Amino acid sequence: MRPSSGEDAPGADRRERWLPFLFVGPAILLLLAVLGLPAVTAVLQSFNLVWVREPGFSLDAYRQLATDPQFATTLSTTALYVGLVVSLHLTIGLAVALALNADLPAKWLFRVAAILPWTVPDVISGIIWRFVFDTLPGMANAILLRLGAVDQPVDWLGSPSLAFFGVVTAEVWRGYPFVMLILLAGLQAIPAHLYEAAAIDGAGAWQSFRYVTLPALRNMVIVALVLDVIWEARLFGTVYGMTGGGPGDATQLVSTLTFRQYFEFFNPAYASAMAVVLAVTMLIVAIPYLRVTMSRNA
Amino acid sequence: MTRPRRPFVALILGLMLLYNLAPFYWVVSSSLKPPLEVIDFPATLWPRQATVEAYAKIWQQEGFPVYFLNSLITSSGTALISSLVGVFAAYGFSRFAFRGKLALMAILLTSQMLPGVLLVGPYFELLSRAGLYDTRLGLVLALSTITLPFSVWMLKGYIDTIPPEIDQAAMLDGASRLQVLTKVILPNVMPGLVATVTFAFLLAWGDVLWALCLIQDQARQPMTLGVLKMFGQFRVEWAQIMAATLVATAIPSCLYVLLQRYLVQGFAGSAIKD
Amino acid sequence: MRHPRTLTRRHALGVAAGALAAPVVARAAAPVTLTYSDWHLAEPVWGRSLAEAFARFESENPDVKIRPEPVAYGQRDVRYATAFRGGRGPDVFALDSNPVKQFIREGWLLDLTPFLEKEGGAAAWASQFYEPTIKVVGEKGGVFGAPQTYVPIVLFYNKPMLESVGVANAPGTWEAFRDAAKRLTGPSKPGGPVDRWGTTMVLGQGGFDLRFPVVLRGFGGDILSPDYTRSRLDEPAAREAFGYVVGLINDDKVMPPGVLQVDANAARQFLATRRIGMAFEAAWAYPITAEMNKDLDAWNTLQVAPVPMKQAGANHIRTTLNMKSLHINPKTPNAEAAWRLVRFLTDRQRAEKWYLDNNLLSPRRAINAEFPRIQESASARLMTQELDHAAFMPLIPQWPEINETFRQSLHAAVTRTKTPDQALADAHRQVETILQRKT
Repeated sequence: MRPSSGEDAPGADRRERWLPFLFVGPAILLLLAVLGLPAVTAVLQSFNLVWVREPGFSLDAYRQLATDPQFATTLSTTALYVGLVVSLHLTIGLAVALALNADLPAKWLFRVAAILPWTVPDVISGIIWRFVFDTLPGMANAILLRLGAVDQPVDWLGSPSLAFFGVVTAEVWRGYPFVMLILLAGLQAIPAHLYEAAAIDGAGAWQSFRYVTLPALRNMVIVALVLDVIWEARLFGTVYGMTGGGPGDATQLVSTLTFRQYFEFFNPAYASAMAVVLAVTMLIVAIPYLRVTMSRNA
Repeated sequence: MTRPRRPFVALILGLMLLYNLAPFYWVVSSSLKPPLEVIDFPATLWPRQATVEAYAKIWQQEGFPVYFLNSLITSSGTALISSLVGVFAAYGFSRFAFRGKLALMAILLTSQMLPGVLLVGPYFELLSRAGLYDTRLGLVLALSTITLPFSVWMLKGYIDTIPPEIDQAAMLDGASRLQVLTKVILPNVMPGLVATVTFAFLLAWGDVLWALCLIQDQARQPMTLGVLKMFGQFRVEWAQIMAATLVATAIPSCLYVLLQRYLVQGFAGSAIKD
Repeated sequence: MRHPRTLTRRHALGVAAGALAAPVVARAAAPVTLTYSDWHLAEPVWGRSLAEAFARFESENPDVKIRPEPVAYGQRDVRYATAFRGGRGPDVFALDSNPVKQFIREGWLLDLTPFLEKEGGAAAWASQFYEPTIKVVGEKGGVFGAPQTYVPIVLFYNKPMLESVGVANAPGTWEAFRDAAKRLTGPSKPGGPVDRWGTTMVLGQGGFDLRFPVVLRGFGGDILSPDYTRSRLDEPAAREAFGYVVGLINDDKVMPPGVLQVDANAARQFLATRRIGMAFEAAWAYPITAEMNKDLDAWNTLQVAPVPMKQAGANHIRTTLNMKSLHINPKTPNAEAAWRLVRFLTDRQRAEKWYLDNNLLSPRRAINAEFPRIQESASARLMTQELDHAAFMPLIPQWPEINETFRQSLHAAVTRTKTPDQALADAHRQVETILQRKT
């Protein structure tokens, strides 16, 4: 990364001082107005201060959150879901990236097939997988029954654990190609001479993977990991389209529960408190990423 | 080039093809079934008699041409604004040192962490007070701002790789900063720009949360809402729904297939790479 | 140079005058457009019927054009609520009874009293309707909508299927119902997987509130007390009904697997394709199943009977009512035209049409008593009789949240996350909390 330069050139005059703000200004204004203002409002709402039925400072929403068993369940479901999905994204993403990095005939065709699920909108992917797992006319049961693996259809989305597994399967499908893409970019940037050197030293495939590939990918993995955690934690469409949070609360995520409280049950203070808890958690998770990126770009 | 063993590559690619393509197979197969066969049990893996009735129905009766056009308008608008504003900001961050730069970059990065469900409620209240509820403008502003941090970051990574001496040389020749940006920088960051535009377009095309909360009129609803609406109480016509999901996915998929070279390059060249 | 400028100015003045005059002229000539939103627009039979009515209305009212806006039933209340909070929404729209009170409280429904006063008075108008129906739309002395159709939930059964397993009459008690359901369940091909079932329940989103509570009521229980102030889920009848349904699903296995996702539509599809022999449905199931599967011959094959009870012949409330009513958005700029549309869609001729096309009864007493086609039909007579044993679901703003809480508890019991008694006790506690929370 090159240091930015030109800014302190002897010729820099007063114009050059406000010039940068002309360039970055529109972006910052948009961010403050469209993201900043609502974020601040949400915090105020969660303390029952603005745009609620009877305004007046109160910690009720947070108190209610602390004792709400549904929120506790949803929070742990969300954590488990994000953890599972992200680790599968990384594992499968790395495996497919390694395979795609090899010399292949018709490489672009494999690459297209590998990335295709990522182009499906999340809610649409939820709907597609809902029909794949549909109990009677769904594909999963059609195949299992034909193979004789089961003799009665499996109630995929009617059992809490199977429904959770189903939602994870759907989101792993849709999300891993992006992680794969980042890792593939990283793999392609590893200089060939490193592998040649490893081969001369007598390293096998596993050793050159362990001592050349993995260390070289380290930074990419961290970036992919953090970005993916952020995206999955705020994911809404997959669950909304696939299970609506059911059966019971088995696949309810903080994002779908918040939407429900805000737009279905009209409890803006409570909904905003939930969302604030989610946002704060995500900010904490993202601190290492922020630190790395900022120091690299400062 | 890594040299994983052949059987490993074949196994991984085989499983990948199965996992990635099976749902698409099911979508195509179901969309070609007549209304009663698609809910039959046990399900047929391929229609006994394929028909494109479902496609004709969604196109003629369910208003899909309108949803399609709406998605196209919203997504193009988002891609345009996000990349345009993004390219300026990226240039600013890449080429200047100024007071508060670090703070502004922190704002940029942090805003990526805010979940949509935190913002969409208050943003909805703001829009309705500004009279912008149920307008495309309100939706496009939201979506382009959400994609903005990514656009800025990716483009900044690109611009950073171009030596600032080139800017200086052009300016000595009498070019203004704006001309430097349009004539010198832009042609050199094309892959990054393509990646940015595509990314913003795909994100806007796939959005459901913001459209659900900000758009009411059928005449302005995007594809995702159109597909969701097919889960009414009255008929859940799975053949039509599957046909609709395919139509909803067609544009982003084609876009990707056409631009996949640029996208991989884009990610490889961006700031995501260290 | 001067000459042309004067000309231009005069020209500009002329244009301005024209522009000022134009809206006046245009208003007289161009029709006003009313948006009409209704979940039934997306249903083939109802959709046709409504389109015919609109064509008729537009020919009688050339100054009004109607723009239909379908909405999905399951998303309807959220879509409307969001639109109204954002200051938009359709000009005229349909609701069923569940969210009406909530919408009145939020100020999203126009009071029709001024229009009614011009047409013989609100009291005289209201007196034409069955009392419970007019209560749904009435509040604080105002009338916030016009009742359009009205039906109770009854037991639909496939007579030939029941006869083929040796059941001659519709089950009148829950024990007989369980027995019939067990006999119906089995493989259609010997040795094949079970692909016929006795019945199903609507436990998914979209239709739960109307259909599931008939079991509760059939056992003599209910969700809330008649004044809607406390939960009745702690009563023995509720425990019995809850345990009965969970038993049907998990032990007797008389419902198709996947019952937790079954919505009203899926239940009708099962009925139409002979996957199940019995379901709790309303009169609209006839035209809808007939259209879904022509081979079924729904009008002859499907018969109706009252909801079973614990003891045959008991005289308590045993079923739920559905009412569709039409409402006007207070923000509409064309309230007068909107009222004309509402009046048209709820007049006598249309009420007869809704019966003929969609098999739904009118909430006006006179029409059910006088229309010969209703008098001649056995199923319509049963529907009318059942009105005496039916009640609406709770008409309070908290109902959507209570309904969802109850539904989720049932899911917990069916998935064995909790025992039925535990799930019910939790539901009772949560419903009490919701009722006590000031809103």
